[in-house]
Amino acid sequence: MARTASNRVAAGIPAAAGLTSRQREAIAGYFFVLPDALGLLVFIGVPMILALAMAFFDVDGFGGYRFVGIGNYQRLAADPLFWKSFRVTATYVLWLVPALYVSGLGLALLVKRTNAFNGLMRCLFFMPQMVSLVVVALVWQVLAVDKIGVIPRLVSALGLGSFSFLGDPQLALFAVIFVSVWFLMGFYMLIFLGGLQDIPSEYYEAARIDGAGPLQSFWYITLPLLRPTSFFVLIVSMVAAVAGAQTFDLVYVMTRGGPANSTMMTIYYIYQQAFQYNAFGYAGALASILVLALMGITIVLFVFTRGGRFNYE
Amino acid sequence: MTRSTSNTENEICVSRRRILQVGAGLGALAMPFINTRYSFAAGAPLKFWQFYAPGGDVPAQSKWFEDAVAGWNASHDQKIELEYVPNSDYMNGTKLSTAFASGQGPDIFIVSPGDFLRYYNGGVLQDLTPYIDAQAQADFPESVIANRKVDDKIFGIPMEVEPMAMFYSIKAFEEAGLNENDVPTTWDELLEVAGKLTTDKRYGVLFDTNPGYYQNFTWYPFLWQGGGEFQGADGKSAFNSPATVEALKFWQDAVKTGVAPRQVLGGGGFAAAANLGSGFAAIQNVGIWAIAEMNSNAPNMPYGIFRLPIPKGGKYVTVGGGWAFVANAHGSNPDAAGEFCAWALASMDKGSIDRVVNWCTVAKSDMPPRQSALQAGGDAFLAGNMGKFSKEIYPGTRAEPRVPPEVYKIISDAIQETMLGGQDPAAVAEAASQQLDAFFAGYSGARIL
Repeated sequence: MARTASNRVAAGIPAAAGLTSRQREAIAGYFFVLPDALGLLVFIGVPMILALAMAFFDVDGFGGYRFVGIGNYQRLAADPLFWKSFRVTATYVLWLVPALYVSGLGLALLVKRTNAFNGLMRCLFFMPQMVSLVVVALVWQVLAVDKIGVIPRLVSALGLGSFSFLGDPQLALFAVIFVSVWFLMGFYMLIFLGGLQDIPSEYYEAARIDGAGPLQSFWYITLPLLRPTSFFVLIVSMVAAVAGAQTFDLVYVMTRGGPANSTMMTIYYIYQQAFQYNAFGYAGALASILVLALMGITIVLFVFTRGGRFNYE
Repeated sequence: MTRSTSNTENEICVSRRRILQVGAGLGALAMPFINTRYSFAAGAPLKFWQFYAPGGDVPAQSKWFEDAVAGWNASHDQKIELEYVPNSDYMNGTKLSTAFASGQGPDIFIVSPGDFLRYYNGGVLQDLTPYIDAQAQADFPESVIANRKVDDKIFGIPMEVEPMAMFYSIKAFEEAGLNENDVPTTWDELLEVAGKLTTDKRYGVLFDTNPGYYQNFTWYPFLWQGGGEFQGADGKSAFNSPATVEALKFWQDAVKTGVAPRQVLGGGGFAAAANLGSGFAAIQNVGIWAIAEMNSNAPNMPYGIFRLPIPKGGKYVTVGGGWAFVANAHGSNPDAAGEFCAWALASMDKGSIDRVVNWCTVAKSDMPPRQSALQAGGDAFLAGNMGKFSKEIYPGTRAEPRVPPEVYKIISDAIQETMLGGQDPAAVAEAASQQLDAFFAGYSGARIL
């Protein structure tokens, strides 16, 4: 609400020299944003810049810095474990994002109608989100223990054979993906529920009158009108999967990057280099590549969807 | 309406200024307190970080630390305070590294040989030699103290020696129709016996499966038994050898044949009660500390101990690990921290010797790192399972290697890729050897042992 000269005078506020009311309003706005911007700068921006700068140094974690130029990037290019971690992360993303999309949307469609039973189901599906991820990882780890865990015993009882879900490099990553989906699908269900509730019911009624079945309604009404929500879900789940917001905790507790580096996500490799091997400079170089990858993904998605704008808007 | 709006805006405007004024005022008031940590630090108790917390697996272990610190505090002006870090975070976590990276490392802490070089090469270890008199220095056998020394200076005081052996469940042996005469002495025999002990709910033998320097520590003796080394006398990699390939293949065969698990319980292969005691494994590759752990957490389970089996034509050798007290050279009072380490573990006073005996026989079950403690402990080191270690297992113990993190990562990857990844041991040994050579060529830290 713009302040006018007359009400400023009425309020007894002296006019600041040379500033229009619009400028003063803008300055006030900046002051309100300032604490948040400062927080972002101090706790996100500066550490990011420092991490990027660190990538050009050999940093031992005990106060020792030595300029190495692009040495860390040369090491990175020749480091097979970095490339393996990149492949593991890509595999994780390629499985997790579609799985979250399908499970989140599927659950949302299942519990879309408002009634007591669906209310209960929504709570149950969302419940994993209320538990610490470390606890979730520990519980699944116990459930999946070779031979004596509930899951291997169940699988064995069904005659499917004996499996080591967290000890076999062929299976461990998929075990982590499964737990990630189980943990996150309730969250994405809620987001899709919000999107579904924004679609006017008249569209479905009109389609039904025109003879459209449930599949046609889903294909021609639900999916197109969910595009903004879908875009949000895809970008958030993809960024979270690459950046390892949840993945890190699961890998740290369940597999520690093993067995045989089969769950060595890039984010965990960065952690290992920094905190277990005290190669902070190298970790900075790895982190900068991860940030670039994240920026690339985000830019591609924005370009692809023209900034998240959709035709029907 | 206009009047009302004007008043509201006026209030908002005043409120903004007030917010800024109050904020600035609070900030100004807070300024003098921001750096107080440093101004108070000089007189503050020294921080002693370790992972033997009250409520841990064996209560006597945390009590030993409490008693040691209480004893020091009762007779010294510079007080010491214990701080506990969970074991998993201490060994593989961020706590220590972030503390040192921010200049807030503990004044006193404990390190294993596997992690010694990280801190020594980082320049944070205080030289403890001036605080230990010559007689006490000679009390530590060279084989025990060597991997805590650089250029004849002592940078860590060992509190224990922990040789590795095989623990087995007598009940599992009996169920499989085996007895102590069937205890395996060779690798082939071990795999054969483990096969007989394996059931649908139990593995025959357990080696650690978690990647990290503990797993490396438990694998080294199998490398050495066939004459293998990771570094030759010329400083170059010796990893690409038949002995390495055989040792990698031995663990791989154990997993591939299904007699050894791909996962372990209780946080790691060091946990005896969780694995052997629970019946998850019939034989476990674990160290001497498991005696105290089993006594405390699985007291009713009968078990036996035997030496590590050897390959055909191999020579018996086991590895002796153990933690050591170290002082932070950049701490708030490195002198007092160094004095404490020596007072606690490396003085010729009876109290210091008894403390080592107490740690190795009451709080834990370890071999002592000092000759005087071995003599003072007397029968405690000769009776029962401790006697088995003293007489049969400990002779032939080789100290745990000290390696920089880069080296243990290369070795760890080789173990993981063959044991759990099923890759060809010969190809893995060759690739790891090339990586080791590349690292050794540019390495400039303290000597790798």
